[in-house]
Formats: sequence, structure tokens, C-alpha cells
Amino acid sequence: MIRIDGVSKSFLEGVRRQRVQALSELSLAIGEGEVFGFLGPNGAGKSTTIKLLLNLIRPDCGTATIAGGDVADPAVRRRIGFLPENPYFYDHLSADELLWFGGKTCGMTPSAIDARSELLLHRVDLLAARGRSLRTYSKGMLQRAGLALALIHDPDVVILDEPMSGLDPVGRRLVVDLILELKSQGKTVFFSSHILSDIERICDRVGIIAGGRLRLCGALSELLTEAGSLESVFLDVVRKADGGEVC
Amino acid sequence: MLTRLWPIAVITFKEGVRNRALYGIGAIAVFLLLGTQLVCSMIPRDVGKVAVDLALSSTSFAGLLIVLFIGINLMAKDLDRRTIYMVLARPISRGQYILGKFCGMGLIIGAAMTLLGGAATVSVLLTRVLYPNYFDKFTLSTLFLAILFQVLSLLLLTALSFLYSALSSTSFISLLLTVITYLIGQVTTDIKALVETADKVGIQVSAAMTFLVKAVYYLFPNLSLFDIKLQAAHGLPVPLTYVAMVSGYWFLFTALALVAAVLIFERREFP
Repeated sequence: MIRIDGVSKSFLEGVRRQRVQALSELSLAIGEGEVFGFLGPNGAGKSTTIKLLLNLIRPDCGTATIAGGDVADPAVRRRIGFLPENPYFYDHLSADELLWFGGKTCGMTPSAIDARSELLLHRVDLLAARGRSLRTYSKGMLQRAGLALALIHDPDVVILDEPMSGLDPVGRRLVVDLILELKSQGKTVFFSSHILSDIERICDRVGIIAGGRLRLCGALSELLTEAGSLESVFLDVVRKADGGEVC
Repeated sequence: MLTRLWPIAVITFKEGVRNRALYGIGAIAVFLLLGTQLVCSMIPRDVGKVAVDLALSSTSFAGLLIVLFIGINLMAKDLDRRTIYMVLARPISRGQYILGKFCGMGLIIGAAMTLLGGAATVSVLLTRVLYPNYFDKFTLSTLFLAILFQVLSLLLLTALSFLYSALSSTSFISLLLTVITYLIGQVTTDIKALVETADKVGIQVSAAMTFLVKAVYYLFPNLSLFDIKLQAAHGLPVPLTYVAMVSGYWFLFTALALVAAVLIFERREFP
């Protein structure tokens, strides 16, 4: 469903415009109906990978496709739902208007938008606040509104960048349940997170990225059988990456 | 194409009209229009010309503030606060985003100028009731045409501000470039005329300066073309050929600015 082939990406940074390599020859394939956890320390390249999948940035080389279509094609995004890390929306819009926007851009009819909004706002516990402007929302409420926006058009692929960031335990539980629900519906979920316990609970496979390179990728059950816990796998991979070893 | 533009235009309009800055600008305009009555009561002659001139200046000033403090902000905030991630993650192209934003801003300018123009018309008509002798040449049609030209001028400035936002990384640079464009656009015809007739008035202008002034004249829009306050105030007719010429000029310049903005935005990355 998601396929990344030999993608590299670098940025020019600072006054002296030095080239910084963000991703190096990244290749990854995620199958239909799979829940894939993308792990890595800060600055490892997780968000860069996600931005490449949404065509917010473009690779220096390599290709990225979703459901067989090049990610540069806007039509491909009809099949993607995306929640950015720390989502910012329009201050003066309400959750209802935000979902109307999301549905309309995907070509949904007004009645379909209404029905789906009702369902999702109930699911993310925002029904009571649906008419309030988003600037009055707490961080957790914004995150939940973002989730509803990501799912309004019933996408086949859901990409979530740190979806648990800033959520209280109740909010985290809600997101975990939602991802499990998506999994039961056969949706493909690609998400990055720092919270290893949540990844252990919901993922089929994980990929660990460090220094812009994919260091490890495999079925979670196999990794846990070999190493005991995801934390020890993660720390071991990152330590080796820091030492310059390639896994 | 339109089905994708419309949602962007609608949320841009809603976000813009709910901005408190718009109410502040509206209050300034009302204050200026009330001031028109005060000024007219204090001057002994040409009341009609002063009333029309002040009313149109108020709408023009308020419209400029809307473009500078709401229009630029609407686009720049998307980039500064990364709201653009949420928008571009939808199945819309970068070009549709720019055009949708422009349509939304067009709706804001249209709504604001309808209200401001209405208030300006009421102000002028009220003055006419109080001082009927000074309005023998005044026509409402020229007043409306002057307001329509102001709307075109503001839309053109908005298109250019979008181009600057597509080019620059901060809203301050977009604001600065838009203000510079506005100032140049107001005086470019006069300066070009001065340079071309410098010998006749005894001023020496180098060839390089003449070239620079001409380059600026053709590069930046001539916004003074849209200013027909003088004709409206003096009740002078505006030829249909002039209206057609200005409309064509507006269309060409606005389309060029938007196409350039789209082309630049298509290439831009949002890390």
C-alpha cells in the first residue's frame, strides 16, 4: 500500500547553506491492512519521511507511492488521512466547519459530510464542542479534531505523526482504540511515535530509523521474541547507529 | 477544479471576516466617514468635491488596510504556523490552494467594500441633502465606478501579495514588498513623466536613471490608473474606452501575478 524506494533527502541549513542529509536511501514497503510503527530518536528522519509521503517535500532521488500512485499526484491524497504533529488549524473555524472543509475537498456530498462528522465527533468526544471556535480548544482537543479531520473521508491509508503527543492518558487510550478500530476495518496505518508501550500494543510491524537510515524493520512479534522488549531493541539499534554501525 | 477551490475560498472568507482586525478597520472607516460630515460643515465652498474625495479616500484607505493586515496574514499564517500541512494533505494541488485563497480574499474584499462603499454613498448623499447647491455635476454612477476600480486595485495588490508570500519565508517581507509596490504604484506615472520631460523643466537625469524609472514603471503595476477620485469629485465623465483599458490591464496584471505565484508555490517545499 505504501512503498518507498531508495529515497534520499537533504536540506540546506544555516547562513552558510550547509547540506544536511535527512534521509539516506530509505526503502520501505507497508502492506494493505498493516499497522506500522515508525520509531526513531528526535531528528532521525521520521517527520521528513511523512512529509515526503504527503508531497510537502520532494526527494532528491528515489520514489514514493501510495496505493500504486505517485505521491506527487494530488488525487492520491484522496485515499490518505493525515494528522500532523502538533496540528494547527484555523483559529476562527469550528470543528464542524473544519470537517466540512475536509469532506468537501474530497468531493463528499453535504449529507455524507454531516453523517460522517456526527459519527467522528462522537468517536473523538467533541460533540459538545463542535460549534466552538478551534482557538478555544485545548491541545488534546485539537489533536482529536485533527484525527476526525484525517478520517472524515474514510481513507484507506492513515498517516499519523506523533498522534499521542500532548494527550492525557484518556486521550491516548482513545487514539489507541481508534487505531485498533481502523486495523479491524482493514485500513493501513503508518504512524510515528515515541511511546513504545503503545506501539507494542497496536503495531504489526515496526521500523526504526536513526540518522536518516532505516536501521531495522520487522514484525513486532519476532522482535519481541528475540529481544524481550521493544525498548531494548530500540536502545540497541540507536546505540549502534550512534556508533556508526549499520544494522 | 471549482469543487476544490470553493472549500478553500469559504474557509479563507470565514477566517478573514471573523478576524477582529476587520472590525477595527471598519471602525476606522466609519470614523473617517463621520469626519467627512464634520469637515464639510467647516469649509465654505466646494463641499461636494470634498465630500466625494474624502468618502472615496476613506474606503480606499480601509481597503488597503484589509489587504495589508488581513490578506497577507491569512496566507502567511498558513506558512508560519504550518496550517498548510493540514490543507495540502487534502487532494488539492498547490495551484488550487493559491487560487482558492485568492477567491476567499476576493470575497472578503467584495463584502468589506460593499459595506464601506455603501457607507461612503450614504455619507455623500447625506451631504448632498444638506448642501444641494454643491452637487450639480455629481453622478452616483461615477462614484460607484470609482469604488469598483478600488476593488480591482485591491484585488491586484492581493494577487501581488500572494506572489510575495510564495517567494518569501516570512510575513514581514511580504508586507514590506506589498507596501513598496503600493507606494511605487501610486507615483510611477508621475515620476516617469517627470523623467521623460526633465529637459523641459531644467532637470538633468542620467540615462541609467531614466532606464531604472522605466523598468520600474513596466515591472510594477500602475495603481494610479484605478484612482478616479478626481473625476468622481468633479463630476467628470469616464470614457468607456478607459474603463475597458483599465479592466484589461487589471486582468492581465492579476493573472500574471497569480500564475507566477502558482508556479513558485508548486516548486516550494514545506520542511
